[in-house]
Amino acid sequence: MPNTIKFENIWNLLGYKPNEPLLFNTSLFLFLFFGLIIIYNLIKYNKHARVSLLIIFSFYFYYLAAGYYAGILILSTIINFFLGRWIAGTESFPIKRIFLVLALILNIALLGYFKYTNFFLQIINDFRGTEFSPLAIFLPIGISFYTFKALTYIFDIYYDTMKPTKNFFDFLLYLVFFPNVLMGPIDRAAKFIPQIEKEPFLSKDDLGRATLLICTGLLKTVVISSYLEDNFLSRVFEFPLRYTGVENLLAIYTYALRLYCDFSGYTDLAIAISLLLGFKIMDNFNSPFKAASIADFWRRWHISLSTWLLDYLFKPIQISLRGLKMWGNIIALVVTFFICGLWHGAGWNFILWGTYFGVLMSIAIIIQKPKIKLYKALKIYNTKILKFFQIVITFHFIAFSFLIFRLSNLQTIKDMINQITDFFHAEVFLQFIEKMPLIFGLIVIGFISHFLPVKFYTWMKKTVTALPLAGKIALLVIVIWIAAQFKSADIQPFVYFQF
Amino acid sequence: MISQELKKVILTQLDLDDFDLQDETMATQVPGWDSLNHVNIILAVEKHFNIKFKSYEVLRLKDVGDLQKLVDTKTGK
Repeated sequence: MPNTIKFENIWNLLGYKPNEPLLFNTSLFLFLFFGLIIIYNLIKYNKHARVSLLIIFSFYFYYLAAGYYAGILILSTIINFFLGRWIAGTESFPIKRIFLVLALILNIALLGYFKYTNFFLQIINDFRGTEFSPLAIFLPIGISFYTFKALTYIFDIYYDTMKPTKNFFDFLLYLVFFPNVLMGPIDRAAKFIPQIEKEPFLSKDDLGRATLLICTGLLKTVVISSYLEDNFLSRVFEFPLRYTGVENLLAIYTYALRLYCDFSGYTDLAIAISLLLGFKIMDNFNSPFKAASIADFWRRWHISLSTWLLDYLFKPIQISLRGLKMWGNIIALVVTFFICGLWHGAGWNFILWGTYFGVLMSIAIIIQKPKIKLYKALKIYNTKILKFFQIVITFHFIAFSFLIFRLSNLQTIKDMINQITDFFHAEVFLQFIEKMPLIFGLIVIGFISHFLPVKFYTWMKKTVTALPLAGKIALLVIVIWIAAQFKSADIQPFVYFQF
Repeated sequence: MISQELKKVILTQLDLDDFDLQDETMATQVPGWDSLNHVNIILAVEKHFNIKFKSYEVLRLKDVGDLQKLVDTKTGK
């Protein structure tokens, strides 16, 4: 029965497979997206048709990642759509507040059940000293992202900075929109929902930007991130004691680069795909390693999350504790970054990672005035040389934090640091370059392209925009070909999926 | 329209000699008005006008014009 076999193959290819979400950098996605774009452009002038098409495609995309748990997203849509309406529907502030608290409880309960139940049960059992076998709870991918997206809607209605939408399907599309449903950016309802009404329009600049972002997205995720992970990082992180301090130090630096390329590359693709569908979603990264302080880093790294935390967590705590002056800021910082850590994952290393930033930024507030005095006394205040050292030092604090982020085992972190301090062997550096020119070359290219001035990126965008359509297609073909060459093994899952 | 009085309180707190504050000016456009300093400005305004804001009233402010309106309401202008 040859026909049956064929259908099975197609079902296997297009059906849900646990732990195998549809990634933007796969040929299957490229194929499906190409089909979507053709149909979308045929029907885009009819609002109902385009919204329906996007919702169906997005649900299929999300189903491939979460299976039947995609239904949780509909539950979240219903809860938040109606609570948003009720908050706006009353003039009474205490009642608005009751609905807000209800929305918070329901959203946090949903997220908490799937993401943190086992973690908290583990903690309770550890305290009691009893045995514990984890419950079989499936973590629907993307739940942290779409829960936070839904909450922007609730908060903005509560603060009266946006009006709720009357259309349930517009709100559903906002939550399930496939470019950002799995890994963000955590777009704002206030920015996204009004765009649904507008007829999609792809300007020449948008097309140029989208083309460039697809190129950078593929190069960052496939060439730099996956290749360095498979061929260098995974080896050193697994057995740090087999390598000298040189390789351990390089691995720590490279992991920072890989995490950035992986996540920002995925974001580049998400932004580009949205642009091609006529939507502008928020940016997520702004050369984070150019940061001259930890606070500056958080203005440049995962911007959609950091501004979410700033607006909906930090500011409310800070304002309500304003009587405590500086200490109010410090408490708000530590609490915010504790939650930031916990949001990233149900594990002590994530909590430690977040709190580490809260503490560092609190110290920065406390020493800010004497520090400026010292810089002025040394006549280095606002100088380039000072900024250079600030960037280098900030990068080291960040690279170290990512070590905590990656490794839940403190012993491995200790081993890596020990290798760097006690077994450095500087001469290995030259051997490393000689033996692994491609890996070293990718690390260098990765960092150099990160530190290029903004002017260069603007110039690239202009150049790509000016290319004729055939030129843009040729550029994409070249980049896809390069990416395919590097995709020697299976694709590494994007690091941020586990959240 | 931003009153000279409010403008003076804000600029003093930010250590600025002069800055053109308009109704639609947002905190991020003003040098030194960052998320940490924001709370100091709110405190200074409360102290100067001898008023007390509720947290949600502060959190919903979008620009300086909103702050002016809030101050006017609280001072009964």
